[in-house]
Amino acid sequence: MTERDVDNLDIFFDAARRQVPDPSPDFMQRVLDDALAEQRRLAGRKAPRRAGPGRLRQFVAAIGGWPAVAGLATASVAGLWIGVNPPSAVSMTAEAYLNSGADAYLVDLAPDFQFDVAEG
Amino acid sequence: MALDALSDVSDEALLVLFANGDADAARSLNLRLTPRAFAQAMRMLNNRAEAEDVAQEAMMRLWKIAPDWRQGEAKVTTWLYRVVANLCTDRLRRQRSVGIDAIAEPADDSASVVDGVQDAARIKALYSALDELPERQRQAVVLRHIEGLGNPEIAAAMEISTEAVESLTARGKRALSAHLKGRREELGYSDD
Repeated sequence: MTERDVDNLDIFFDAARRQVPDPSPDFMQRVLDDALAEQRRLAGRKAPRRAGPGRLRQFVAAIGGWPAVAGLATASVAGLWIGVNPPSAVSMTAEAYLNSGADAYLVDLAPDFQFDVAEG
Repeated sequence: MALDALSDVSDEALLVLFANGDADAARSLNLRLTPRAFAQAMRMLNNRAEAEDVAQEAMMRLWKIAPDWRQGEAKVTTWLYRVVANLCTDRLRRQRSVGIDAIAEPADDSASVVDGVQDAARIKALYSALDELPERQRQAVVLRHIEGLGNPEIAAAMEISTEAVESLTARGKRALSAHLKGRREELGYSDD
């Protein structure tokens, strides 16, 4: 090794690069055993998920996912509010339907029809 | 699936297959990455048993992180370089001074005996000098000049800027030159 060699570090790096450390087969096997053991552990952790989605998840999926649940919740709250504090148009319509004192009217739209049939 | 069928599959995709329980993906990742992690650890620690421990620990962390791996964020190899480098740094800090006699002889797998002897002497001197460097400089020099990584990849692995990498490698090389000059007589080399 000369002064020039020492100044030129590349010859040291080249030598180090040429010497590729070779892992032993035993060591490679140990690492593979770790990998396969970890895969078994992962498979065990995932297994309960395969039982299928729960009832809530099924319901949510059936109505179109969480955005649909948000819409459903908004509609429910709005419906409840209209029931508790109805706008005047709604309360008048409701009174018209529900008021027991309201009279029922029969309107004969074709009063001559029965007579015509009887006469033939 | 045969192993050669996975040769074109990226490391990141193999990791997804691994997390889904594909044993061939485990074998393929092991063959691709374990020798690389081991080589890096050997070059940092220059001790086979320690390098095996570090590489096994780094690979174990990879197996464990596989289900949570976020695609597109980092290359698997860069992540692995970082983990191995950090584990090596921890060990180097614990046992700072390794005597030159404790440095392992490199394996004789070179083309000729003469080249082998010359390489062995250079490698021994290099690792001895590397051992004198601060851990971060040593890491940067090993990754740049022995592992052959580019500065951006080293920056990602060491979580520093590319400018910091350049500075670390420049200072590391200056220190290496100084150490190697200082050891010439000690190692019994003379000018020729």
